[in-house]
This record gives sequence, structure tokens and C-alpha cells, in this order.
Amino acid sequence: MDLQQQTKIEAIAPGSPVKRGCASDWVAVAGRWVLGLVFIYMGVSKALEPDEFLKLVRQYELVSNFYLLNILAAALPWFEIFCGLLLLTGVAVRGAALVSLGMLVPFSLLVLKRALEVASAKGLPFCVVKFDCGCGNGEVLICSKLVENLALILLSAWLLLGNGRRLALRFSLFERGQAGNY
Amino acid sequence: MRKVLLEAAAVALVGAIIAFAANAVSPRGLKLNRDYFRGQTIEPIANPTPSPASGGTGTKSELETLAAQLKAEGLQLIDGARARELFDDARRRQDEIIFIDARNLEHYREGHIPGAYQFDYYHYEDYLAAIVPLCQKAQQIVVYCTGGKCEDSRLAAKLLGDIVSKEKLMVYGGGITEWTSKGLPVEKGEHTNAPATK
Repeated sequence: MDLQQQTKIEAIAPGSPVKRGCASDWVAVAGRWVLGLVFIYMGVSKALEPDEFLKLVRQYELVSNFYLLNILAAALPWFEIFCGLLLLTGVAVRGAALVSLGMLVPFSLLVLKRALEVASAKGLPFCVVKFDCGCGNGEVLICSKLVENLALILLSAWLLLGNGRRLALRFSLFERGQAGNY
Repeated sequence: MRKVLLEAAAVALVGAIIAFAANAVSPRGLKLNRDYFRGQTIEPIANPTPSPASGGTGTKSELETLAAQLKAEGLQLIDGARARELFDDARRRQDEIIFIDARNLEHYREGHIPGAYQFDYYHYEDYLAAIVPLCQKAQQIVVYCTGGKCEDSRLAAKLLGDIVSKEKLMVYGGGITEWTSKGLPVEKGEHTNAPATK
């Protein structure tokens, strides 16, 4: 039984154990929208001031070549907006979730590394460390930013497993019968 | 799983194409082939020691680092007292002393040193035609940005130093943050003699 059939049965049998699955799918849809909106917000705030974002990316010393640094700072904001729009509208959701993971995980590790360096250099407790991590929100407490990123990572992983199909324009690009779900 | 990977690759490819196209058409987009930091290395994270001279806007180590960097580049750092002195000098009214704000237009409009000309270092090609004649005419040029860790004034001064004599270029390290913290006058909006090109 595929997920589509299962969800239809869930809708027919109210009060049954599978009803919880139906509710969780709506939660997943809400999660997909939240993740999409977060990506759009983060991308727009960076795209509006790309030079500020360029300076912040440089602080991470990711690349020594200025050309690569420019590519990262120029493309990332728009790429985030694109992924956010896919998640919000429900197009290629699992692919977009995987790409989101590919951005969130390394970026969170970089922020963690820099926060540890700042805490060590300034002799501060980790959860007091505050800086502009290039996340689009200005200067933030890194502890709370990492918790927020962990939540986004878990949300992306949940969508990657195939959740959040409702109200999706085209949940999967390469599977038949996915357009205009439910 | 293979389909998900394929889908992710498609998302990445289309996303990258759209991202580069959007950057290219955006008026604020970055020039991919420009070395914005002109080979400057990143300063290590330092334990801050508040500098009494900075008015709380820059740490002693930040200002010392900036002074050393400027000296190596043949430029000089000035403090708030010297910036105020130059601001009050009558020659400023004849543009013999000019102030240059190296921040972007949005920050400039929010408040700048009265009479300062805007010169957004990251989009300098839009400003050079108006700024260069002013710099050539001026006897002393004060460049500033936000202050503290802001590098834009140094980068802008370095760029201008390739065009006009470095001897007349000064960087006000405290920047607009120190200026406003001292309760000195600030002008909002456009410069009254805003460059025609911007």
C-alpha cells in the first residue's frame, strides 16, 4: 500500500489509530511552510545587502580564493530563496529538503566552530557568545541560533522521509501521480 | 533514494542557475571577478580591551590593529578629536577638507557626518566619477564607516590612495558610531550636493 492510498484510508476512518498519521501529515505541511518561510526570510535579508553577507562569509575563512568567496556570497542568498519557494509551494520537496540539509548542517558546524573560537579567545561562557553569524538576523546569541538550526535540520530530515505531501503542487519530480496531491 | 538524489541534483542545478542570474541582474549584486578585500587577511579574534579614546566604539586592540594596517599602507588613522577639528575647520566649507562616508546608501541616509560625501566601496564604480574630482581638489580627506571592526573606510581609503596622494587621506577609526555617541551633529538623507551619478 503506498502512502497515497494509506492517507485516503486514514481520512475515511475517523477515530482509528491511523487518524494520528493524518494529523501528523498536516503538522508536516505546517513544518514545510515554516521551513520554506525561514529560508525565504534568510535569503531575502542577505540578498538585500550582499556586501554585508560577503564580509560575514569571509569571517569563516572557508575559502582563500576571492572568486570562490564571491560566488558563495552572491549565490547563497538567492539559492536559499529558491529552496524556500520550493518548500512553500511543495515542489520537489524531498530534493529541496536534502539540499536544505546540505546547507544547514555544514553551516551550523561552521557557526559552532567560530563560536567555540570566540568563547575561547574572549574567555566567555559558550551561551553568552554573540555575533552576526550571517544568518540574516544580525547579531544573535549563538547558543539559541544553534538550537534553532537543529530544529530546522530535524524538520528537513522529516520532510526528506516523505512527509508534508498535502497541498503540495508537485511533491516529487520523478514519481508519477504526485501532481496536485490532495 | 536514487530519485531523491536526482531530485536534489536538479534542485541544486536549477537553483544555482537562478541564483547567479538573480545576482547578475540585481542592482546590489556582487561582481564575481572583483577582489573586494584586496588581499587583506582576516584579523584573529581578540579579547577586547575597551579603549577610552574610542568612546566605546572600538577596542584598543582593534584600533591598534587598524593603525598598524593603515601605516603599512601609507595611510593614517585619526581619532575623534582630530576628526572634530577637521570638521570645524573653515576649509571644509570650500571642500578643501572633505569627509567621505564609505557605507552603503541605506546607512548613509540614516545619518552621516554633515556634508560627508557617500562612497560605497562595494559599488565604487558608481561613485568614482563624482568623488575623484572632489578628492583631487581637497587638501585633506577623512574617510569613515561605522567604526569598530568596520573595514570599509580602510578599503575605501586604500582604493582612493591609488588615485590621489595618500598623504592627504585619513581614516577616522571611531566612525559614525563614535561621532554620534559624542552627540556631534548628524545629517540625514541625501547630501545637499549629492553626486549626479547616484
